[in-house]
Amino acid sequence: MADDNLMIKMDSLNKSFGKIMALNNLNLDINRGELLGIIGPNGAGKTTAIRISCCILKPDSGDVLVDGMSIHKDQIKIKSMIGYLPEEPNLYERFKARDLLRYFAELYGVPRDNINRRIDDLLELVGMSHRAEDRINTFSKGLRQRIGISRALIHDPEILIFDEPTMGLDPATSHNIREFIRELKGDKTIILCTHYMDEADSLCDRVAILNQGRILDMGTPQELKSKLHSDIILNLELEIADSSAGKIIESFSTVEEVNVSGSKYTISLKSKKDIKEIISSLEGNIVSINIKEPTLEDVFINSFKN
Amino acid sequence: MKFTTITKWEMKETLKSRKFLTIFFLQISVLFLMIFIFNAFATNIESEKGISITPSLSGFASLDVDDQGRLFTKYINPELITVTSSNYPDSIINLNAGQTTAVVVVPGDSIEKIKTIETINVQLYLDMSDPKRSVVRDEVNTTSKLMADALSNSWVESFTPQNTTPTVVNQQSTGESLAMQIVTKAMIAILLFLPLFLFGNMIIDSVVGEKERKTGEILMAMPIKPAQIVLGKSMAVVGVIAIQVALWMIILLITGFEILNPLIVYFLVFITAIPVIGITVIISAYAKNYKEAGIGLTFGYVAIVGVIMIPTLTYLSNKSLTSNISPLTMVIRLFSGENIPYWQFLIPVIFIGILSIITYWIAVKLFERDDVMFGPRPSILRLTREILGWKKKNKKTKL
Repeated sequence: MADDNLMIKMDSLNKSFGKIMALNNLNLDINRGELLGIIGPNGAGKTTAIRISCCILKPDSGDVLVDGMSIHKDQIKIKSMIGYLPEEPNLYERFKARDLLRYFAELYGVPRDNINRRIDDLLELVGMSHRAEDRINTFSKGLRQRIGISRALIHDPEILIFDEPTMGLDPATSHNIREFIRELKGDKTIILCTHYMDEADSLCDRVAILNQGRILDMGTPQELKSKLHSDIILNLELEIADSSAGKIIESFSTVEEVNVSGSKYTISLKSKKDIKEIISSLEGNIVSINIKEPTLEDVFINSFKN
Repeated sequence: MKFTTITKWEMKETLKSRKFLTIFFLQISVLFLMIFIFNAFATNIESEKGISITPSLSGFASLDVDDQGRLFTKYINPELITVTSSNYPDSIINLNAGQTTAVVVVPGDSIEKIKTIETINVQLYLDMSDPKRSVVRDEVNTTSKLMADALSNSWVESFTPQNTTPTVVNQQSTGESLAMQIVTKAMIAILLFLPLFLFGNMIIDSVVGEKERKTGEILMAMPIKPAQIVLGKSMAVVGVIAIQVALWMIILLITGFEILNPLIVYFLVFITAIPVIGITVIISAYAKNYKEAGIGLTFGYVAIVGVIMIPTLTYLSNKSLTSNISPLTMVIRLFSGENIPYWQFLIPVIFIGILSIITYWIAVKLFERDDVMFGPRPSILRLTREILGWKKKNKKTKL
């Protein structure tokens, strides 16, 4: 029985480029209105997976069902439902911003009466109204990315696929684009491929960790973080690092793991409960203290360690 | 019909491009230069020496002559026509067998008739299916006139024995000789086909440019079929070629060249552009970059020129129905004012139609393949095998 809430289903996807296996039996479900982040190192297969979903590449085997339609049968319908922003916006340099959006609006079959209004709305949305008549080759990377987002939204798609949308952008522009994606959240189904863990952490409903064409782990950012041995990490630097200090630390019940590197101790804790006591017991020997909760980056690194 | 959107925008952006417009008008100025050079060439070869056609035209047509007195034969231009002395029955057999273009019969008693100042009736039999007949007919007419002038001069000399100046026979040209007309027709026909090969860079930019600038990824994500992309991009270039050919025809007409049946000629040139662009799209789709596409295009265009020119040359030297597969042959025949049966027009049209279908089919197949568009690119052999659906034979292993 079909799941009405399921928007995209990647089913046993395999894809090789020559001898390199980009996707290895990839299975991934994305729900309607969900913002799914795909994180992974370079060459993990993120771009290949989304290019197959956009019907740009063909899988060697397997299928992607978009709203119940197969990429092998209903390419045109699926493409109409998706707004795709590649890593590099790669826009036609000679076009003026407005002409470019008009060209893609016509290709997407946006009704002629709506095209001008739609272009004006989108240019205003991305703060580019004042540059509408300028050529693309006069734009900076950040401005091109904004036009790229407008282009991906021109036909008001149900699904948005962003491949590294903030890659190489300055912090202010990255922040604007993240805020923009946050605004779209819930309204549209979004796939976000990113290298930035904090971006995935702050934006995504769920995150899939991809490596060598397979999903290593998947869940909400909180779930993934909780899968680590501890919730809290206490970093201590001691003046005198001897075995007695280690024994004292390990004696506390909430301590799960202690890693020692010279005079530096990384202590994984189940809870914050014993922190005060640990510090008190080592009083006079402590040079520096740092407490941090696990991040998605820790999850990411931990997944690769495992 | 989303390919029209691609065609419209490709043409719009191309025609707005300064670089393109510079090239476009430069091509027109080259046409003017060619007309100027050709006129200079024509003036030179129509000089006082009489018709002095290029060596490549020597033996261009053949003529059997039944001329026992050899009075006529010595005035025929040997640079243009191969003259064979024969008798009437054998000559007619040769003519029917297509071994000669024409037969001239000079009466056996012509010397006696000259002496008694009687008219000599020279009979000319032409192979009406041979396009070279017009050259031979003109040459025979010119020779007859030369012969008559020489005879009348010798009569005048006989009445004035004091004049010891040797007689010099010059051709008095009134208008263009027919040999020259053939060269002119061939030149105009070739000129009209030239724009077909001048816009390959537009397709390269349109197809290879998508790969190099990586805009192809977005285009392939559009809800349009690869066939529409191929068609849209091709039609934009075919449209530009159509404009250029029309302009060239107008310029040639304005500068005094005669183009018979201009609409049919335009149609033939226009439809030839379709498979030429199809082949250019195939080369561009397979090429990895501009450099590769440029090299491929050079070889491709040499092959296309061969396909167009060889049947035409074959037709001029040895008339054959299959030579009509080349639209150039048909255009030269139209220029000659030949009365061509309608069904013969179908030969180049069908040939071009089949070639267009094949080239666009291959181009679409290439566009449908993600390995060709995004790499790693397969070898030509593997690609051919897979497109044609040939399965690689597995080697049998002995158990």
